[in-house]
Amino acid sequence: MKDRKVYVVKWVLTVLFALVIGAVLILMIHENPIDAYVALVRGAFGGNLKLGTTLSNFTPLLLTSAAFAIAAKGGAFNVGVEGEVFLGGLAAAYVGIYWTWCPKPLLIVLCFAAAILVSAAWAFIAAFLKVKWGVNEVCVTILMNSVAQYIASYCVSGPMSAGKANSQSPDTLVTLPKIMKPSTLNTGIFIAIVVFILVWFMLQKTTLGYKIRSTGTNPAHAEYAGMKPGRITIIAMMISGALGGIAGCIQVLGAYGYYLDNFATGLGSNGMLIALIARSNFAALPFVSFFVAVLKSGAMGMQQSTGVPKSIVDTLTAVFICVACMEMLFIFKKKKKSGKSEVKQGGES
Amino acid sequence: MKLRNIFNISLIYSTFHIATPIIYAALCAAITQQANILNVGTEGIMLMGCFVAVAVSYFTGSWILGTLAAMIGGMLIALIMAVGIIRYNADNCAIGMGVNLLATALTKYLLETIFGVSGNFTDPKIISIPKVNIPFIENIPIINDIFNNWYVTEWLVLVLIAVVWFMFYKTVWGLRLRAVGQFEQAAQTAGINVSSMKYQALLIGGLLGGLAGAHLALGYTTLFREGMTSNRGFMGVAAMYFGNANPIFSSIGCLVFGLASAIGNRVQAYGVPSQIVLLIPYVITIVVLVVSLVSKQAAERKKKSSLTNVN
Repeated sequence: MKDRKVYVVKWVLTVLFALVIGAVLILMIHENPIDAYVALVRGAFGGNLKLGTTLSNFTPLLLTSAAFAIAAKGGAFNVGVEGEVFLGGLAAAYVGIYWTWCPKPLLIVLCFAAAILVSAAWAFIAAFLKVKWGVNEVCVTILMNSVAQYIASYCVSGPMSAGKANSQSPDTLVTLPKIMKPSTLNTGIFIAIVVFILVWFMLQKTTLGYKIRSTGTNPAHAEYAGMKPGRITIIAMMISGALGGIAGCIQVLGAYGYYLDNFATGLGSNGMLIALIARSNFAALPFVSFFVAVLKSGAMGMQQSTGVPKSIVDTLTAVFICVACMEMLFIFKKKKKSGKSEVKQGGES
Repeated sequence: MKLRNIFNISLIYSTFHIATPIIYAALCAAITQQANILNVGTEGIMLMGCFVAVAVSYFTGSWILGTLAAMIGGMLIALIMAVGIIRYNADNCAIGMGVNLLATALTKYLLETIFGVSGNFTDPKIISIPKVNIPFIENIPIINDIFNNWYVTEWLVLVLIAVVWFMFYKTVWGLRLRAVGQFEQAAQTAGINVSSMKYQALLIGGLLGGLAGAHLALGYTTLFREGMTSNRGFMGVAAMYFGNANPIFSSIGCLVFGLASAIGNRVQAYGVPSQIVLLIPYVITIVVLVVSLVSKQAAERKKKSSLTNVN
């Protein structure tokens, strides 16, 4: 309980700190920070369209943040979620466009299956390299993001192009029904929530979940207890990839109805920052995801109604993450003297 | 497609030209790696350097001031990492990615608020880093093609490789730095101030990373574009792995990436889709990274087996 209290206090202080930095940046360009923040909230919740957009932003973020978090639980720092979203989306689009022989309900399932397979396979590469030869996964996954983005970009501007001015694929035969029109919110949000709960359940209540958690906390102990930490890290990474793929599939089938070039830019990195802020705690992920989704969609409204550019929000979230990952910040002086290990426990919770 | 048009004498300079920003990044990563800190923030440090270099060069009209300011800008980003890692026990991947996102967002914000544009910023008032023209080799065919008209910072990188190498392996400071990196507790017992060494490594790394940005924004090109580093920082980190944090071998790794990009650029003229060309350097980087770690592990295994044979 005490740990949870420390966690909440730290979180609130971090939010305040980020907001203050944001206020300073806004004051620097002679705008009123309070007006800007009010406009931001209004931009996220005022009216059906805006609320729908917020929820629509929330959908992929929930999945990408869970993707990052589960890899982190399994001991890998998976920056490659973005690439997995791109390729998952591409695979879903390919199946959704060209497998015309297939009855429609089945086709949706196949789209998801293709996305999951391709993305999990993509994540497997980095995981395998890490486990087998100790190749740093941050480096590999971030470079693979660029590779994935270029592959997808090549496909939709070449072989899979719809021949329009924007680089995009033809429309898919199946789409996920939209709710709350005219926003892009679609039934994918329910899929995302169900998948999220399943993964959470898996992590907390099953043997595999226990193995993943122990591998991430202490691989040496996991090995001693008879698990194979390497294999489990690979599995965690592949689940992470699959989640990224599902996010891509939902975006393609739900939000757009076709593959739009560069559609996933920022989804992976935002998912990562959500997971880092929430410290990969699944109970906190939905809240932080929603918070970031509000910031993202509110930013647009803020830019329109005040003179503050929406990039301030990215800056804010980046400050946020830098502060949030400093474990010993906001742990007060009295504790600091009582030895390093104790302080660490208090901060991690 | 004529091979002669791809593999000719100017390929040598193109390779080096493309590799230079990555070499700077690799040096930045190598210094912190010697203190056993993986510098994930290289990318952000570089990007901040790019922006500061362009902004200061634009307002003061001096590339020297721009470059110096870029170094300080890079150092400030590195300072955030240093405080996070050393003082507040942050995970170094987490804070590294944090500063990368911060640099991306902050440069975008500043670009919009200071210059009122988004995406790209070019202006004739941005003074670029000058080229070094050596008149007396102008008439020597091959030497002229290879060595004439380099940017000042391209010559500087050669000097820096040597300086950093000397610092690592021939000075007391370097010995202490490597001691901290290899066995922190032992270094502490020997009376070395570990956190001070780590701060120094990160801050000097930040200076070099800022310089990388300055070279990229004022030499390699003369503009600022959002996310213009396009993962060069991470290529630098990969090259650092390849060279095992040795500045000379790391630079050779960078030249491999440079060669891949240079060939790619030339092949593009023959109708190969641009996206394929653009992804080549990334794939090569990953391959090089894997090969270097595989061979390193094989070497270690060999070392171990010879030890057991002796006993």
